[in-house]
Amino acid sequence: VIRGLVVLDPAEITDDEWAGRVSRLQERMAADGITIAFVYGDVYRSTDIGYLSNLCIYWNEGILAVPAQGRPTFLTKLSPRVHTWMRATSKVDDLRSGKAFGPLVAEFLTEQETGVVGLVDHPLWPVDLAAEITDAAPGWEIRSLGGLVREQRLVPSVAEVALARAGASAMRRAFDAATAPGLDDRERVALLERELRGHGFTDVLATATSETVEATGQYRHGWLHLAEPLDPGWTGPLGAVLRAIVGAVVPGATRQDLAAAAAPKVPAGVDWHVTCVNQADMATGGEYVPDEPIPAGAVVVVGVEVLLGDGHRVAAARTVLAGPDGAETLEGQ
Amino acid sequence: MTTMLTTADLGERALRHTRLRKAMAEQGLDVIVAFAPGWRRENVRYLTDAAVTGSVALVVLPMDGEPAAFSTRRTDLAAITAKGWVSDVAHLDFPGVTAFTERLAELRPSRVGIAHRELLPVAIDAALRKALPGTEFVSATSLLDNARLVKSDWELARMRRSATVCAAGWRKFVEVLEPGLPEYRIVAAVEGELKRLGAENNFMLIASGGDEVRGMTPPGRRLLEPGDMVRTELTPQMDGYWLQICRSAVVGKASDAQKRSFDLFNESVDAGLSVVKPGVTAHEVAVAQNDVFRRHGYGEYCTSQYTRVRGHGHGLHLDETPIIEGNHTVLPENAVFIVHPNTYTPIAGYHVLGDPVRVTASGHEVLIDTERKLFESEGAVA
Repeated sequence: VIRGLVVLDPAEITDDEWAGRVSRLQERMAADGITIAFVYGDVYRSTDIGYLSNLCIYWNEGILAVPAQGRPTFLTKLSPRVHTWMRATSKVDDLRSGKAFGPLVAEFLTEQETGVVGLVDHPLWPVDLAAEITDAAPGWEIRSLGGLVREQRLVPSVAEVALARAGASAMRRAFDAATAPGLDDRERVALLERELRGHGFTDVLATATSETVEATGQYRHGWLHLAEPLDPGWTGPLGAVLRAIVGAVVPGATRQDLAAAAAPKVPAGVDWHVTCVNQADMATGGEYVPDEPIPAGAVVVVGVEVLLGDGHRVAAARTVLAGPDGAETLEGQ
Repeated sequence: MTTMLTTADLGERALRHTRLRKAMAEQGLDVIVAFAPGWRRENVRYLTDAAVTGSVALVVLPMDGEPAAFSTRRTDLAAITAKGWVSDVAHLDFPGVTAFTERLAELRPSRVGIAHRELLPVAIDAALRKALPGTEFVSATSLLDNARLVKSDWELARMRRSATVCAAGWRKFVEVLEPGLPEYRIVAAVEGELKRLGAENNFMLIASGGDEVRGMTPPGRRLLEPGDMVRTELTPQMDGYWLQICRSAVVGKASDAQKRSFDLFNESVDAGLSVVKPGVTAHEVAVAQNDVFRRHGYGEYCTSQYTRVRGHGHGLHLDETPIIEGNHTVLPENAVFIVHPNTYTPIAGYHVLGDPVRVTASGHEVLIDTERKLFESEGAVA
């Protein structure tokens, strides 16, 4: 649940970069003949909307309507009472609230010249909402689109990488404190929550067991992850596996490639699994996308988890940049 | 590793299955599917007692036989198995969801009710229709909502633990308030405290400032000033169960206007609580609260222009049946909800005050022991 700092800071992402994100989508829309693109988000999966607008869907659902030309409009079930806050923390001025999306969409479309509505990432849309949009758009062609915004997010900009480094550095410091001897599981999680949110993370998911400490955090709109085994019996073996995985992170590599690099280092007889998730997909754990080659310049979360016989697991993971000279671990270790 | 279920656990699971199957029979359903997108996992929790984290999780409960559970996240499989409520657990591919559709097809159902069917992704809906072309799919969202409305003793014991954590979270909130502290650092301190006490999650909104404040949002960088009223709703989740506390505190000493505002809201909470008894409707609880505002000349501030609801149900979802005029849902004994008339007025801006309650045989039981007052922080105030 998003409950950390929400901020729009031009020193971090410039106005030009914000505008460029929308322009890039609009160029693609124009090429594909799309008049209006609707981008859906909810409190669990809203990174596309955040990327285009810095809007934070802290509860419920919303649709960002992006015209082929001009500025986006946000349609939401959130109350108009928070419009002032949303305008102050986003790049969107036109905010429209209602109890249902159908009437909001119908009203919005009456202001546009009839054409083609594209539903971005259509397979992930709630089925009833997709039908509601169709019903609200008589005379419009409704077209199913893929993950156009996700594609833009797969390789972060220089500014986004700088934010990722800042976040990763903070996460490392908090992690070092949280993995210190003498703390119990709850204290480790509490420390991670307090330190990361205190540093300005928007979202934090931390877990600790006697085997592993893990932290996933959203710093602005970028995601970071760190996991380390606590059990000394696993620190060395998983460290070696992780080094092999990180060493295999090059543009074009797939999860299967990373697993192949890791295999010689994995202790015999264990049930193990390699993870490789682009930070752009971390909100959903990469569960909606197939194993894809890592794009050059992407930030990816890579790691290994071992399922222990008693149902427990032990894991090691890092967030790394797939640069031209190889992988760079963002937190600096 | 599977947890050995206690007699109480087994009884609770049996109670839920019996309750759901009775409703299935009444509605002519052969199977119920609990669908959990990332932000609505209450029904999967109801049938597994497990804290799943996957983007998609599903539970299939047939009229006869054992349930089966599925998740797109591999770690969920061990989590569900460990709880011991469902032993038939499988990983879910996306968008094919093959393990799920094959399991469902084996049951040859004529009519399937899907809880949160309206949120089912287009891809899964298509996979279902392709795999079971002759099957009718209907929404079972209300069916599950109704099943979860009345809490058992087993559930109430968990909610009382949530109540203890609510109170501790509020104490930490007041403890850290001081001029110069940014809003997000307040949230960080409270989150740390809640997690230290074992909360698995928390929903929290906040607002700070004077009478210009119109509502609560996630925190920003705003620095607290002496005389600010800082409002919050804290909603920790313990063992699956959410419970909320709503309070406001002043940085330093409260002004007369802030005290008048508190008196108005406190009278409204009292009025809402006074009508709570088995059979009361959500509408009636809302009217009782709003009538206080109307009587004092602030009726317009009970409208949707200024506020959302006058409370809402609690349980495995934090925002269950809304306490609002026009919602005639009957609240039976052992329903749990918060009474909160949170809204803006020109007296002192947005004010937040409310207590979670259980409907008892003769009235209500407030589930938290936090004093209902306008708190004043003791942090350094110039």
